[in-house]
Amino acid sequence: MAQVVSVMDNKVNPISNGSATAYAASIVGVSKLFGKTSVLQNITFHVAEGEALVLLGASGSGKTTILRIIAGLEQPYTGKIILHNKDVTELPARERGVGVIFQSYALFPKMTVEKNIGYGLRIRHRPRKEVKKTVNELLQLVQLEEHRKKYPSQLSGGQQQRVAIARTLAYKPEVLLFDEPFGALDAQTRGHLRREIRALLKKVNVPAIFITHDQEEALELGDRIAVINVGNIEQIGTPAEVYNHPATEYVATFLGAANILDAIVRKDRIEVNSALIPARIDEKFKDGETVKIVFRPEDVLLSKTPLPAGRACLSGGIVEQTSFVGAYERLRVRLDPAGGACETGDNPYYLTTETPESQTAKPIIVTRPKPEAVEVKLQRGDRVFVGLNAFTILPKTSRPK
Amino acid sequence: MRHVRGFDVARPLSIGMLVFMMMPLVFLPLLSIFIFGTNKGLASFWAALMAPEAVFALKLSMVTSFWATVFNVLFGLFAAYVLSRHAFWGRNALIVTISLPTAIPTAVAGVALLMLWGPFGILGRLLRPHGIEVMFTAGAIVLANIFVTFPLAFGVIKPVFDTMSRSLEEASATIGATRWQTFWHVTLPSLRGAIVSGALLTFARAVGEFGSTIMVSGNLAGRTQTAPLYIFAKFNEGQIEAANAIAIVLALFSFLVFSVLFFARDWLDVD
Repeated sequence: MAQVVSVMDNKVNPISNGSATAYAASIVGVSKLFGKTSVLQNITFHVAEGEALVLLGASGSGKTTILRIIAGLEQPYTGKIILHNKDVTELPARERGVGVIFQSYALFPKMTVEKNIGYGLRIRHRPRKEVKKTVNELLQLVQLEEHRKKYPSQLSGGQQQRVAIARTLAYKPEVLLFDEPFGALDAQTRGHLRREIRALLKKVNVPAIFITHDQEEALELGDRIAVINVGNIEQIGTPAEVYNHPATEYVATFLGAANILDAIVRKDRIEVNSALIPARIDEKFKDGETVKIVFRPEDVLLSKTPLPAGRACLSGGIVEQTSFVGAYERLRVRLDPAGGACETGDNPYYLTTETPESQTAKPIIVTRPKPEAVEVKLQRGDRVFVGLNAFTILPKTSRPK
Repeated sequence: MRHVRGFDVARPLSIGMLVFMMMPLVFLPLLSIFIFGTNKGLASFWAALMAPEAVFALKLSMVTSFWATVFNVLFGLFAAYVLSRHAFWGRNALIVTISLPTAIPTAVAGVALLMLWGPFGILGRLLRPHGIEVMFTAGAIVLANIFVTFPLAFGVIKPVFDTMSRSLEEASATIGATRWQTFWHVTLPSLRGAIVSGALLTFARAVGEFGSTIMVSGNLAGRTQTAPLYIFAKFNEGQIEAANAIAIVLALFSFLVFSVLFFARDWLDVD
């Protein structure tokens, strides 16, 4: 069955002023100017107790500025930062009790691992016994007991990061902020550390905000993801929501590969490339309105024979390129200029490698899992029928109102 | 390359040439002090060194240089902090001004201090009726030392400040430290190497200061005569051994300081 979906409503719950909420951290209406350039516009989001939220965006999207504003290292132009029901907007960084894990970890180079971890307690003039006890517990938690006497420069990147986390956990932070936590590490270590940190956070149950430009990292780390683009939140939701039902074209293309085609709303169907595909149409789209459909490469169905009835059939097409990328196969398929009738295959305007349109017709990217690629071999020039397993309808203008 | 494995004549030749060129310029003059200073036996060298005026001159040099060093290191730290942390109009002008005193001839520095603090100087004239005499005292020597070594510690500390990652201080702040705690526990330890080398440079330079000191101190034996002034005075009086004894001490002292600077730098800057 073709599973058809519509755009998710991504309204954010407005915080009720003054009354108690379950949020660990709230960022309300924050904007920021650097000189005359606006880098953040009216950013609002909330982090629940124990939740991990990922701010995902390209470099220059303003995500680091949001983090610095929460930490108190930067002042917002408008808006409020509320941590556990306390407005901390006017407080300096040192009075906020926020734990920041810097991209470079910012471990104190002249202090040993245990001195680094105990720093927050020592400057708070806690009794020596208490400092020692807490440091021991944290060393155990991050599994660095045998490295306690070492200096940061003697540790690996992953170990340094664990020291940085332990150093903030020592003073029981209101929220943990991770600035591009895995940027400085190689791909293998990254994946390993991600899972380690996720497990650690669940154990200590401290809410966390991550900043990253890596979509894979965002999907794996976040309970929820907020996609930031030029100082705005484009969408906020669970990884599945954001990936499967992107609210905007930007979200669709930033989180993984996406194919985008023009389409027209026709009552309970959607017209794409002259094919009519049944769809549940959201009320906000008018009949005859021009829209876009977005679908993931893995949601495309390729077949050498006409698709069975009931499948959302998009068009016929021709395989232009295939490449094997490890776990799956990636293909580029040119769609017939006038699709339609792909259930039966009787399309007088179909493409072949000889037709001039094979250079200009709309291309889409398709991925197939390895078993399927082995079972049904496809190569350049093969005629295929293209169906959709899932897609999302987006308004023509990319920004949601 | 003509000699792939064989003997390369350029190597011993160039090294030999370097040493030969340094002979009359550096090695022989230094050697001469030792030869002259000890040719009448170690006993007479020791006696010359232990002469009350000589001991006083060495002590005075050490004490005045010490206070000048303390002041200039503290000032250098403060100036480096302000000038690398804050951007403001006129910052570069201030940096140039701080660096200026090393470029000024030391005699000019002496004259300048006299014009300010001397009996007829701009400030000295006002202080004199109150019985405050700044020039021709140990204080004057400290002032002269401060002036001529002013930018040395600053010059070593500032680059370290400039390259220091801000995120260390930001991390300390988010952890809950006050500015002072951050400076004491985080910033200062990273500056340890720069502070020590800045201090040694300043001290070594101050101990050897002559041009400005001779103008502002009055060169009174046993009262305001520093070690370099003592050497000059004794030499003029024809007491070569007395001059040489102190000269040897000063030469060894500089050698020691620069050896420490050279070999301890890496150790001090280890992260």
